[in-house]
Amino acid sequence: MGKKLNNGIGAAILQQPILALIVLFIIVVGIVNPTFVTIANFKNVLVDASIYGVSALAMTIAIICGEFDLSLSSNFMWSQIFFCYLLNKWGSNALGILAAWLCMMLTCMAFGAINGLIVVKGKVTSFITTLGMMMMMIKGLCLVFTDGQMVSTNNEFVKMMGKGTLLGFSYLTYIFLFMILLAFYVMKYTQFGRNLYATGGNYNAAQLSGINVEFSKFIIFVILGFAAGISGSMFVCLMRAGSVLYGTDLSLTCVAATVIGGTPLSGGKGSVLRTVVGVLVIYVLYKSLAFLGLQGYINTLIKGLALLLVVVFDAYMSKAGKGGIAVGRR
Amino acid sequence: METGNKWNSIKLILREWGLIFGIIIVIIVAAFVNSQFLSGENFANILRAISTVGIASIGMAMVVIGGTMDLSIGSTISLVGVVAMMVMNSPIGMNPASSDLAALLTVILGVAIGATVGLINGGILAAVNGRMGESFIFTYAMQIIVGAVAFAIVGGKFQAAKYPDGMFKSLGIGVTPIIILLVIAVTMQILLQKTSFGRSLYFLGANMDAAKMAGIKIKAVRLVSHILCGACAGLTGVLIVSRVNSASTLQGVGYEFDAMTCVAVGGVSLAGGTGSIAKTALGVLVIGVLSTALNVMGVGSNEQLILRGAVIITAVILDGFNKRAKLREVGH
Repeated sequence: MGKKLNNGIGAAILQQPILALIVLFIIVVGIVNPTFVTIANFKNVLVDASIYGVSALAMTIAIICGEFDLSLSSNFMWSQIFFCYLLNKWGSNALGILAAWLCMMLTCMAFGAINGLIVVKGKVTSFITTLGMMMMMIKGLCLVFTDGQMVSTNNEFVKMMGKGTLLGFSYLTYIFLFMILLAFYVMKYTQFGRNLYATGGNYNAAQLSGINVEFSKFIIFVILGFAAGISGSMFVCLMRAGSVLYGTDLSLTCVAATVIGGTPLSGGKGSVLRTVVGVLVIYVLYKSLAFLGLQGYINTLIKGLALLLVVVFDAYMSKAGKGGIAVGRR
Repeated sequence: METGNKWNSIKLILREWGLIFGIIIVIIVAAFVNSQFLSGENFANILRAISTVGIASIGMAMVVIGGTMDLSIGSTISLVGVVAMMVMNSPIGMNPASSDLAALLTVILGVAIGATVGLINGGILAAVNGRMGESFIFTYAMQIIVGAVAFAIVGGKFQAAKYPDGMFKSLGIGVTPIIILLVIAVTMQILLQKTSFGRSLYFLGANMDAAKMAGIKIKAVRLVSHILCGACAGLTGVLIVSRVNSASTLQGVGYEFDAMTCVAVGGVSLAGGTGSIAKTALGVLVIGVLSTALNVMGVGSNEQLILRGAVIITAVILDGFNKRAKLREVGH
C-alpha cells in the first residue's frame, strides 16, 4: 500500500517535475526570507502573472496549432498606448470607456488578422512574418504615434479595476481565471479546439480529413491579437500608463511559459492548463529572486540558466529529435 | 524556340536575383532626391556600415542553412565588445609599444569567446537533436545568460576608449572591415560549396532524419555550424568597438534580428537546406542601401522601422511566389 502511494507520488513528480522543483524553491526562499511566504505576496504574484498569463494562454494555443507570434509584445505595447490615448479622449462616461476598449481590441485583432493573412495567403513562415510585424511595423507605429513618450491616463474606472478586490483577490486575477476556463473549454470540448490540435499535429492529414486548416492557422493569430488586447488593458488597469518600454519580453516569456509548462514546440500536443503552471513557475521564480536580494545581473543570469535547464530537460523528456517547432512546416 | 529559351533564361535570372533590381530602383529614387547619394564616398560609407552586420549575417546564414538559428549573437557581440575594450584599456593596450599585440589579442579573444558561445549552443542542440524550435528557445536563454555575463564584467558601465591610435583603431575604419567581410564571405562560400562539411550542412538543413540515415555525422556538423556563427559574431563585436571607440552591454542588442532580417531578405529559406552566402550578402546590401537611402531622403527612424518591416515581408512573400513558380515549372 505504502509502495503504491510512493509510486503515485513518484509518477506525479515525474509528470510535473517543474511543480516539485518550484515547491522546493519556495521552501528555500521562504527559509532565507520568511516574508516571501505570505498570502499578500502570493496575491501579488498572481496579479503579475495574470497579465502575461492571458497572452501565454493564446501563445499556447498558437504553438499547439504549430505557429508562434513574436509580434505579441508589440501588439501588447500598442494596446496599452492606444487604450490610454482613447481613454483620455472618450473616457468620461461608461459608454466612452466601452467604445475605447472595443476600438482598441478591434485594432489588436486586426493586427493579428494581418499576421494570419500573411502566414496563410502569403505562405511566409510565422517567424519572419511576426518578426517583420513586431520589430518593425507595429513597434514603428507605436513610436510614430507616441514619439517614444509614455502615455498615461487618470481614468477612474481603470483605477477601480486595477485596485478593486473581490473576496480578497484582485479583479485582474478573476479575468485571468475566466480566460483559463474559456481557453480550457474551447480547446478541450469543442470541435474548433480539436481542429486546432489536428492542424498542429499533422497539417496534411488534417487537411485531407476535411478540416479547414487555413482557417485554423488564420484564426489563431486573431486569438493572439485578442489576448494581446486583453493583456494590454489589464496592464493599463494596473499601471494606468502605456509605453513602448513595457512588455518587450512578453512574446518570449510566453513561449518560455508554454515550454516550461510542458507543451512541446512540435505542435499538436499540450494543454492550456499546463501553461498556467508554467506562468506561475516563472513568476514565482522572478519574485523569489527579488526576495533573495541579489544583484540585478545575477537575477538575469539565474533566469537565463533556469530557462535553459528547463528547456533542455523538456527536450530530453519529449525526445525532441522527433519534434522541432512546427513553424512553417506544411 | 531560340527566343523562347532566351526569355526563359531571363526569367530565371530575374527570379533568382530579382533583389538586385530592387537595389537599383532604390538607388535611382534616392539619387533623384539627393544627387549626393551617387558619390563614391557614399557607397564606401554604405559598405563600411554594412560590414559588421554583414559578418554577423554570414555567420547566421551558416546556422540557418543547417536548419537552426542563433538568437544569442547580439549578447555575444556585447560581451566581446566589453572584453575587447578591457584588453585595450589595460596597460598592454595603453602602451604604444605593445598595443599592436593587444589588438591582435582582442581579435583572437573575440573570436574565441564567440566560438565558445557557439560551442555551447551547438553542443546543447546536437545533444538533443534540436531543430529550429529548440534552437530558438535555447539560444534565447543563452542570449539572457551571455548578456548577464557581459553586464557582470563591467557592471553595466559605458566604457570609452583610452588607448592610443594604432592597429586596433584602424581595424574598423577605412577599407579594412570591407576586406575582412569579403575574405569571410569567400571563405564561407568555399566552405559551403567545396567541402563535405558544406554539403552535409545543406543536407542536414533539408532533412535531418535523412541526413542521419545517410551516415552524416549530424551532431558534429551542427556543432561546427554554430561555432562558425559564434566566431563571426565575436569578430563583429571587435570591429564594432574598433569603429565606435566605446563599448557597452547594449552594443549588440537587436543584432540577432538584424542578421535574421538580412538572411531572410536575401532569400535564404528559414526552413533550412537552401541559400548561399552570395544571397545573404545581397540581403545585407539591400538592407544597407535601403536604410541609407531612407536617411538621405530624410525619413525619420520611427517611420523607417515601419518601412523596413513592410520591405521584409514583401521580399519574403515575393521570394515564396518565385520558389513555387519554379517548382511548378520543374513539375511540367
